[in-house]
Amino acid sequence: MKINLKDLTIVKAHKHLKNGDFTAVELTKAYLDEIEKKNNGINAYLEVFDDALEMAKKADQKIKELKIARPSSDKTSVSRQEFSELLGIPCAIKDNILIKGKIVSAASKILENYHSTYDATVIARLVKAGAVFLGRTNMDEFAMGGSTENSAFGVTKNPHDLSRVAGGSSGGSAAAVAMDGALFSLGSDTGGSIRQPASFCGVVGLKPTYGAVSRYGVMAMGSSLDQIGPMAKTVEDCEIVFNVINGRDAKDGTTVEEVRNPKPEILGKLEIQKSKSKNSTQEANSKSDKPKIGVPRHFLGGDGIDKDVLVAFEKSLDSLKKKGYEVVDIKLPNISYSLPTYYIIMPAEVSSNLARFDGVKYGLHVDGKDAIQDYFETRRAGFGREVIRRILLGTYVLSSGYYDAYYNRANAVRKMITNDFIKAFESVDVIATPTAPSPAFRIGEKTNNPLSMYLEDIFTVTANLTGLPALSIPCGDSRRDGKSLPIGFQLTAKHGEENTLFEVGKDFEK
Amino acid sequence: MITPRELDNLANLARIKLTDADKVSLIKEFDSILGYVDQLKKVEVSLDAEGRVGSLRNVTRPDEVANTSPEDRERLLNEAPDREGDFIAVKKIIEQ
Repeated sequence: MKINLKDLTIVKAHKHLKNGDFTAVELTKAYLDEIEKKNNGINAYLEVFDDALEMAKKADQKIKELKIARPSSDKTSVSRQEFSELLGIPCAIKDNILIKGKIVSAASKILENYHSTYDATVIARLVKAGAVFLGRTNMDEFAMGGSTENSAFGVTKNPHDLSRVAGGSSGGSAAAVAMDGALFSLGSDTGGSIRQPASFCGVVGLKPTYGAVSRYGVMAMGSSLDQIGPMAKTVEDCEIVFNVINGRDAKDGTTVEEVRNPKPEILGKLEIQKSKSKNSTQEANSKSDKPKIGVPRHFLGGDGIDKDVLVAFEKSLDSLKKKGYEVVDIKLPNISYSLPTYYIIMPAEVSSNLARFDGVKYGLHVDGKDAIQDYFETRRAGFGREVIRRILLGTYVLSSGYYDAYYNRANAVRKMITNDFIKAFESVDVIATPTAPSPAFRIGEKTNNPLSMYLEDIFTVTANLTGLPALSIPCGDSRRDGKSLPIGFQLTAKHGEENTLFEVGKDFEK
Repeated sequence: MITPRELDNLANLARIKLTDADKVSLIKEFDSILGYVDQLKKVEVSLDAEGRVGSLRNVTRPDEVANTSPEDRERLLNEAPDREGDFIAVKKIIEQ
């Protein structure tokens, strides 16, 4: 059977692998060929692994064993469980996630030749499920940036328009899926680094609840903000990957039990009771068996927001309303302080986390005139401009005399913002905003103005500050220079309620 | 407004060498970023700063040594820029 990568999803590929329409090796070869054709122009992959086909062979072997084992047992549910939906599925991994024996550089000169000494927990889980690793993907250095322009190894271009950025920091992971160079990818999200590139490249991206997915073996940027999540073509595909990677891990003390929530149906029923007691309008009975959607309209009026983004956003709300969703206005009184709060807390954590790069234990070493000067020379030579900028900013907000005015205050405001969201979730189940304030911008457009790049994160940082799960789904496009650029729609749910995001997301895609 | 002296101090704390050209652009960028985050000073903060994301709870594990295999040790040592036997080599820091 000829493999049509354009229309392929995890769900479809799984079915074909199961039916024997093609093998995992054939599927992996198809992806490797596509990468060979497109990666030179797009630069989504920093490295294509030479053992991808070997992994695919192993997957085929496992598939064969399962097929032999199946007829003997009547309980199909058992064999279905064993035939993981990710068995033989080719994927791409962001270059800050450790795969034992492979180079992992965080797109930085300081780790250019560093080999992982162990597997990240997410990697171990994907290996167990039988996924095939095609390669490691480009990113902003140490995940700092919104365009992949901060990579030490060249920018990743947007597959929809090569003169534009793919977004960031997980730009390579988003572009890999968008160019049909992988069925799914893993990214990391500290302030929007999964969702914004997903929005720019027209794919689905999930930032899970803080603690849902183990961070063990993923390079820390902002430890109270970082989460690992999937990027794929559909919400259902993201859900499949999330179900494999989430869950408690003894190696990451912040992880929580596997996320298994009450189904939205149940939440919906509770909602009916609530709305009936509040206002018994005639419409309520048919409308409210679906999660209720809140929109913080007071936050969408800024002039930094692209007109096409707002049009696509309103259209998306209309389509949800037509599908029977109730959409109401909500107030998040402190949300406008999210971005300044984030740009204090994040650099503070960055400055601490990146102190480990000293040219002694691993990575680049540049000689100075004595042991102390080795640090200065190594860090200067190894880190890019944005990384240095954030380390210094973090050092500033944590330094004596400024700590209370900046860091402590930011932590208090973070708590206020979180309380706003928790309060809003008393009356709605999901909060909708655009994912990014604009479609993909041109390469070089924002490189000389760090603040304008930071403003890209305006809608995404809140999920990281509050620890809430958020999903970006393609919702429309914008015509620019004769090209069609994707726009993303962001849904945020309560802690641990990824399932609500998946239900609404799947409904929205229909 | 951040002064060149303050910036020198930060670079020293962060162990990063800066050139004069770096300093000129960093001072400008710091001004624009700090000018933006300074809006937090307007917020009437009604809460203490003790809050953290997620629920706070004790996380314990058995007090056991892990990763003791010679292969693990070898892999880790091989990543060091300079090693001598089973040690990471560094420059002498005490004068004779």
